[in-house]
Amino acid sequence: MNPFILSILLLSLGLGTTLTFASSHWLLAWMGLEISTLAIIPLMSQHHHPRAVEATTKYFITQAAAAALILFASTTNAWITGQWDINFDLHFFPASMLTMALALKMGLAPVHFWLPEVLQGLDLTTGLILSTWQKLAPFILMCQIMPVNSSLITFLGVTSTLVGGWGGLNQTQLRKILAYSSIAHLGWMILVMQFNQQLALLALIIYIPMTFSTFMIFKTNSSTTVNTLAASWAKTPALTAITPMILLSLGGLPPLSGFMPKWMILQELTKQDIPLTASIAALSALLSLYFYLRVSYAMTLTISPNNLNATTPWRLQTTASTLPLAISATISAMLLPLAPATLALLSL
Amino acid sequence: MSLSRIARHPRAGLLGCIHQQLFLNPSSLPGGADTRPMSRVPYRRPGEPKDNRPPWKKIKFDFAKGVEGVGRQMMLLKKELLDPLVGPEGKPMLEHMLEQNRVVWEFRGPECLEQWSVSSDREIGGQSEAYLKLGRNDNTCLLYGSLNAAPPRDGETRYSGYCTLRSKQRLCSFDRKTHFDWTSFNTLHLRVRGDGRPWMINLAPENYFSHQKDDIYSYFLYTRGGPYWQDVKIPFSKFFLGHRGRIQDDQHHLWLDKINTIGFTLGDKVDGPFQLEIDFIGVCKDYAHTEEFAYEKYKRNPEV
Repeated sequence: MNPFILSILLLSLGLGTTLTFASSHWLLAWMGLEISTLAIIPLMSQHHHPRAVEATTKYFITQAAAAALILFASTTNAWITGQWDINFDLHFFPASMLTMALALKMGLAPVHFWLPEVLQGLDLTTGLILSTWQKLAPFILMCQIMPVNSSLITFLGVTSTLVGGWGGLNQTQLRKILAYSSIAHLGWMILVMQFNQQLALLALIIYIPMTFSTFMIFKTNSSTTVNTLAASWAKTPALTAITPMILLSLGGLPPLSGFMPKWMILQELTKQDIPLTASIAALSALLSLYFYLRVSYAMTLTISPNNLNATTPWRLQTTASTLPLAISATISAMLLPLAPATLALLSL
Repeated sequence: MSLSRIARHPRAGLLGCIHQQLFLNPSSLPGGADTRPMSRVPYRRPGEPKDNRPPWKKIKFDFAKGVEGVGRQMMLLKKELLDPLVGPEGKPMLEHMLEQNRVVWEFRGPECLEQWSVSSDREIGGQSEAYLKLGRNDNTCLLYGSLNAAPPRDGETRYSGYCTLRSKQRLCSFDRKTHFDWTSFNTLHLRVRGDGRPWMINLAPENYFSHQKDDIYSYFLYTRGGPYWQDVKIPFSKFFLGHRGRIQDDQHHLWLDKINTIGFTLGDKVDGPFQLEIDFIGVCKDYAHTEEFAYEKYKRNPEV
């Protein structure tokens, strides 16, 4: 893509999210969401492949519907309460509508159906932006409207963790696996958001480097299926050794970074006297862990007796920068000892 | 007949005394004719008499058929729920990773022919014929018939003389579409025996929106006449994109994760009989073939 156009689009993405972060008026927040949606549309369809165009169209329709619902809910709230300010408590009905609209924006179950298909149609870089950056703005709005209908939030959270676990079980396409991973992680964040927003923010801050690392690893290996990933030991042996750490961190295993948010969230849910919800969330994390473990197994613990279903490429010196991946992989795998300091920073 | 007899609604408000508005009810039209838009009416072959029966007479109510249908759907649902417990597509993960060849269609009995549909220009009023039957010893299928390039006399069709064999859409429980996932493979492998005519192989991937409904990836199949079988291996990178028969300038490679149907078309403008015998259709992984796409993309100077 023309570098000027690319920079305009990326800056608009940043502008949209920043606008939503900085706004205290619902209309401005909605505008920020729309700007970021419109900015990512050309990025998604830049290759003009029929599947990319299909993914872009699906994304646009779902995001536009969610944005319209946000606008309607905020207008209804202004009609009822006379307030456009985000900081003021919402009336019950607009609050529930806003919650569902933001759930649709983020891809929470049961309105998650668009996410795997859209992510499957994109290249890895755009998929990375969709999975990380595009989650920030609706997430921050969701934090600001809390506390809202508690049973709705718990329902969204539990359903997302279950759907994220079940849906990813038999996927062989890596992008769909990451889509279901995103749904599951957002479910965890939503569950705790009604009680402790800093913990939800911590979960998001840990989730972003883990997902970033995973996408960058797949991009380095140029692999979009589990089969092609299984030949990565010949391409990048060092990365093949590190990837299970990242994937198991996504799965929430100690002593990796991903364990920290899950541990804190389970502790908070137990303190709030909802052990059943905590148990269901923990058990559904086992489902997610299974498919992360399966990808790690296929990638690292197998050397096929015959040729795998992948082309073994030339091992040339890479020209791409590996520094971002190195930093994010370190954060994803080794941050757990900093847990006390992180929790103190977030005033927990 | 006065206007008041045709209009069956009360007069429209204030303007009723000035101007009688006519709304034609479907029931008021002679013969109870269908006034649905063209997109909702099922296709009627030219020359076929119109079917003006009311909808409830078109359905055949049969309790046994209903029970059998429910049983079949439950079996499909059970398979769909239990297969993921084994692995992707019902196979263990290691088997999925090591798979190099797969036979997708073979013809071992009359039930295999149910998966295919045959069509020709007879649908639009042409004179070609095409039939499908099992070959000798129920080991193959034979597509045979004759082409006639004379266009139908409807004043608008200019070319004719084609026939096609297309696989039916695979359905899982409750008539939902299911797709082939051929990402582990890169080559289409056919064993065919033809009569020297050039066929076209069409792969139709899954599309969600109606704009892309007729997107088909095609390539040629040149048959050699004679008693010997041909093993044809066509890499998927060779398939080019066409829409409604028109090859697109903006070409893209075929994504193999959601393939719906395969089809064989004959339209070589030659009148006369044809035969194509197919032993099996499969997919395989050719390690020597590393090409991603055989054709230039739309950009003449793509950025590196």
